[in-house]
Amino acid sequence: MLRRTFLATGVAAVALTALAPALRAEMAAGITAPVTISFYSYNLASAGLNNDTTMGLINDFMAENPLIKVEPIGAPSNEILSRVQADIVAGQEPDLAQLVFRDLIYAADDLGAEALEDLAGDELAAHAEGMVPSGLDLGRVDGKTYGLAYTFSTPVMFINADIFREAGLDPKNPPKTWAEVKEAGMAIQQKTDKYGFFPGAFGPIDGTFVYQSIVMSNGGIVREGNTLTFADQPAADAVAMLRDLRDSGAYAEIDPASHMDTFAAGKLGMFLFTSAVQNRFIKAADGKFELEVAAMPSFGDKPTAPTNSGSALFLLSKDPVKQRAAWELMKFLTSKHAYTQITSKIGYLPLRLDIVDDPQYLKPWVDAHPMIQPNLEQLTRLTPNMAFAGPNYRQVENMMKDAATEAVLGDEDPYEVLRRAQVQAQALMPADG
Amino acid sequence: MTTRSRATTVATHGAMILLVLTAVVPVYWMIVTAFRPEIEIFSLRLLPQQPTLENFAFVLTAIPMLKMLGNTFVMAAATALAQILTGLFAAYALTCWRFPGGKVVQSLIALSWLVPFQVTMIPNYVLSTKLGLLNTTTGLVLPNAAAAFAVLVLVNAMKSFPRQVIEAARMDDAGHWRILWEIIVPNLRPAIASLGVLAFISAWNEYFWPLLLIRKIEDSVVQIGLQMFMTQEGNQWGPLMAAATLASLPVFGLYLVLHRQVIDSFMKSGLK
Repeated sequence: MLRRTFLATGVAAVALTALAPALRAEMAAGITAPVTISFYSYNLASAGLNNDTTMGLINDFMAENPLIKVEPIGAPSNEILSRVQADIVAGQEPDLAQLVFRDLIYAADDLGAEALEDLAGDELAAHAEGMVPSGLDLGRVDGKTYGLAYTFSTPVMFINADIFREAGLDPKNPPKTWAEVKEAGMAIQQKTDKYGFFPGAFGPIDGTFVYQSIVMSNGGIVREGNTLTFADQPAADAVAMLRDLRDSGAYAEIDPASHMDTFAAGKLGMFLFTSAVQNRFIKAADGKFELEVAAMPSFGDKPTAPTNSGSALFLLSKDPVKQRAAWELMKFLTSKHAYTQITSKIGYLPLRLDIVDDPQYLKPWVDAHPMIQPNLEQLTRLTPNMAFAGPNYRQVENMMKDAATEAVLGDEDPYEVLRRAQVQAQALMPADG
Repeated sequence: MTTRSRATTVATHGAMILLVLTAVVPVYWMIVTAFRPEIEIFSLRLLPQQPTLENFAFVLTAIPMLKMLGNTFVMAAATALAQILTGLFAAYALTCWRFPGGKVVQSLIALSWLVPFQVTMIPNYVLSTKLGLLNTTTGLVLPNAAAAFAVLVLVNAMKSFPRQVIEAARMDDAGHWRILWEIIVPNLRPAIASLGVLAFISAWNEYFWPLLLIRKIEDSVVQIGLQMFMTQEGNQWGPLMAAATLASLPVFGLYLVLHRQVIDSFMKSGLK
């Protein structure tokens, strides 16, 4: 499946290079006649609450804006880029697309996404009021906002309180540092027949944001400009720490493809992964085990740097009227009303923290769901996930991820594994400048 | 029966039972999981303790499953039919007519089998868009209406058909159309049936092309529906298994109807 997706993406990318649009027109001041815009979203490609909530928001928007009709187009998150590329090549220009953050630079440089400062100017500044301070940074490339952060979350530590008690640990006092995670993981491994700890950073399910969170929490970074640095000291030390967890037995020896299922089945004590799966775990734990949620662990006294998983909205339309319609939809989908729906029904984080204490919006839900608190607290330290530039950006990211996986789960020296991969991957990066 | 031959029989049967279990257990697990409530999804019990229909109910309300099954059936049946028809015409031409470059054409058809659909997918999509075939069953069927596999299978089947019978028909003034439909096709029924089942299953399982071509969920096919229960935030195992159970019923039904011809064909040609 991955190979086929890669192939399809590659073919479309080659075709796109010749068609990258360079036209720029000024966005219309308003909508005066009926207009239809397309909205590509991966939330629409999943059954249940994700689809229902997104469709509900689209319907709310169309009710408020009767001149604008939205054509919703769903595609899974790992295939939505291929879908957008194919439609651009075929002349079916998408107007608005929800893409994952790893595609940020590609969307800005190659897909022709509009810089919102150029398009909306003061309107963007006004719309950004009340957003998490670093919220707009998530979608910035070279100082301009190409992606407006939409559905996103940060890594939190899910805890199986029953396993903690069985191992003689206090689930109300979860590990706060990696040293404590090691201790707790070893206790679980020694005193129970369950698994200790697993970070959702590796495996076929995208977990790069977890890996980057751990690296950045240790003061590391995966690239500086277009120079890869994931094998440099602070970043590599973070991976070496995970390797130490594995060597100690605290790290769960499970299939990385089924980490979520292992936790949902009640067999894993600690699981560091996106808070977007919180609703799923609450449902899975019901009647089976007690679920607790804690902030991600830190390296000693260093503050953590939780990065974002999820997606941003990219305005791709070149038609001035459709640009206006798409911008209005973008604003609506990142409004107080939308984030109230998105957080309470799907489980993503609100980009607008002022709604958390507002009884008109999210307060009743937050009061009833205290498990979101560690996540909200982490928002104050939200650190943008780093995407890679150039046509080989996905391959570079995969090489980095594979190297980190091998460094943690393999037998070789982790520093050497990372160094080797960094040298190879650097050759695929564009030159600085 | 000697001790040695008895041991061989037991070993053979043991291996066959193991193979049958390997094939049947995943299907059994899919059906059983479809009836498990959320709390029992990861249970290793052979039967659910509290069987429920809630997964099926969720599938039928969360996505337009019945509409999707109908769309898929029409698309798969049309694709299978088209592949058989184009395969028959091509195979007849390649085996019964001698023309310059015939062997080259056959080699090119065989080579085209090695080209992954993903390579031609974008040009196909651009062309379909220009022809106004977005969101249509015709658009789903057209790029797969001729398949190298179907041509090669039918060429092999026709090559083994006695030439004398065709020559005798010609001497009786039978035209190509009559020879094909009244003499060859009735005798190739097992091969056509097995090809039909394989083409139907292949079209039934098609994912990427419908994902690209169909923009509305209600016009989409069942494989896209199944994918909707699998997300980056995890799989909804109960509904996914319920949807997979529903999706496998038509294919299972088709096999039940045609199983005699399919087994005959597999036995004769070793086709898999």
